[in-house]
Amino acid sequence: MPSVSFDHVRKTFGEMTVVEDFNLSVADGELLVLVGGSGSGKSTILRMVAGLEEVTSGTIRIDERDVTALAPRARDVAMVFQDYGLYPHMTVRENLSLGLRIRKIDPKEIDRRVTWAGGMLGLAPLLDRKPKALSGGQRQRVAMGRAMVREPKVFLFDEPLSNLDAGLRAQMRIEIGGLQRRLKTTTIYVTHDQVEAMTLGDRIVVLADGRIQQVGHPIALYRTPVNRFVAGFIGTPTMNFVEGSLQRENGQLTFAAEGVSVALSGNMSTDGRSEKVTLGIRPEDLRVDPAGDSAAGGLRGLVVLVERLGGTSHVHFDVGSRPHRLMASVTNDRLPDVGETIAVHVPPQHVHLFGADGQAFSRST
Amino acid sequence: MRTLRRIGLYVALGLAALTFIYPFLWMASSTFKPREEFGSLALIPDHFTLDNYRTMWARAPFGRALLNSTLVATTITLSVLVFGSMTAYAMARLRFRGRPALNAATLGVLLVPGQLTLIPLYTLIVQLGLIDTYPALILPYLFNATAILMMRQFFLQIPQSLIDAARMDGMSELRILFTIFWPLSKPVLSIVAIFTFMGSWNEVLWPLLVVRDEQLMTLPQLLTVFALGGGAGSVGVSLASAMVLVVPVVIAYMFLQRNFIESMAGAGIKG
Repeated sequence: MPSVSFDHVRKTFGEMTVVEDFNLSVADGELLVLVGGSGSGKSTILRMVAGLEEVTSGTIRIDERDVTALAPRARDVAMVFQDYGLYPHMTVRENLSLGLRIRKIDPKEIDRRVTWAGGMLGLAPLLDRKPKALSGGQRQRVAMGRAMVREPKVFLFDEPLSNLDAGLRAQMRIEIGGLQRRLKTTTIYVTHDQVEAMTLGDRIVVLADGRIQQVGHPIALYRTPVNRFVAGFIGTPTMNFVEGSLQRENGQLTFAAEGVSVALSGNMSTDGRSEKVTLGIRPEDLRVDPAGDSAAGGLRGLVVLVERLGGTSHVHFDVGSRPHRLMASVTNDRLPDVGETIAVHVPPQHVHLFGADGQAFSRST
Repeated sequence: MRTLRRIGLYVALGLAALTFIYPFLWMASSTFKPREEFGSLALIPDHFTLDNYRTMWARAPFGRALLNSTLVATTITLSVLVFGSMTAYAMARLRFRGRPALNAATLGVLLVPGQLTLIPLYTLIVQLGLIDTYPALILPYLFNATAILMMRQFFLQIPQSLIDAARMDGMSELRILFTIFWPLSKPVLSIVAIFTFMGSWNEVLWPLLVVRDEQLMTLPQLLTVFALGGGAGSVGVSLASAMVLVVPVVIAYMFLQRNFIESMAGAGIKG
């Protein structure tokens, strides 16, 4: 049974359409991540589930119940906000319990839940402090606690980590993931950070311009992006793109751009399209041979920059006559120097092709 | 040299402060002086007396006027705070049809001088048959555009996530206003409260127009009628009645002083 479902949901602000025909269902206990750039409509979708934003047309259901027209308090959902939304004039305990007191829940039960959430989030010693006296990470935990004590059907997270510094963000990401797995509460999580999306999500929804680009398991999105937007959005470092055309000689399919030629595997279904295609290849899929000659299916590249990150390094190099700037992630001990010529192998099975419309070519298997 | 300059500065500031405070202190002390001592500039009476107050109290219903003024000013202040903040909240944080027009209209009210509405308002009160009643004193002041705009400006700065969180917690808009916005808006609420209270407390012209019954007169009105009408008979008695007028405002100011100064200072800093 789906926990949350969207049926042709649409949202406009005046003349502007923010969300266009959104259809999706979220399974019970699932952690679904909505990811996209600013203006993609992800936060608006979340706020529509919360009831903070009206739905222009379409239906939202929670546990099969139509909640489209209900007030936030009648929906049994709890939300964690980007800037926490803690009441500054109330203590942590009051912040946690306010929603329960309004719902006239038995004080003993309120105490039990506050103690439970406080213990789980390590807030016990902070219960009588006010938000001003807490660090960013602690405030974030209080905001999560406030959602937890409600014991709602659905958790909504609206970019909860974007106000934290990088170290704390990684730590809180792990905490949120762990907490969600323990509580098994259906969760919709909005972020613009694809690393958060990849690490947290059971499924990811990639949004652009108010439309779903692709829905799927993080690894599926990484391996088989359906269009160029998803390919460029998911995965760090970003996928390399080269624009060119397709040629077929003696049954061998080849991608060609100025001074660049890449042999492709035979199972790529081109559907007769050959004009203007974009080749995509992830930096971690390129094989760099610092000294070697360019073998078959290989490129010759001139190294322009080497970024050493410790475990892996990013080698930026130019290929072709135009030239095209590409990047490879390299874990070799022997790194090329700037100005050196390198041979780069492009494994055909890792090549992505996108047509002029941005849609990916499929592979026959 | 530096110490010397500092001493000079303090002396100059001290003198400046004295020119402000002295007349008030002289007035306060003179109310406790017998008639013969009024010529003296001394601040401590040679012969302390409460006669001025006794005379004043005996000649006109000042106790009743004090009660009237308190009733009128308190009702008006509460109304301006409660209904004004409700209006300000709607104007600042709710989306509804006609909101820009409402904002413009509220601002427009500020452009109309009070003297201009005096006659129409008076006619209205007469037509409603409210002359010589409390409503005549109170009704025209229940709403205040300046107060609404001040509160609206302050409410605009409160983060949206607080409203969102409160709605998720199950609060109604009224409850959000009174349990979230009010506690966070103490500076602006106190400045509005003190300005409204003082404005109402010191108002003379309007009560003079709509109230003739001595039992319904407010303090400044009775004071004006009493002092200008020659009822006081002596400077001491006039000053004593002025003291009765001014003391409650001074006390109210002392209570709210901290918030008052905070918001005056804050007004310049917050963008």
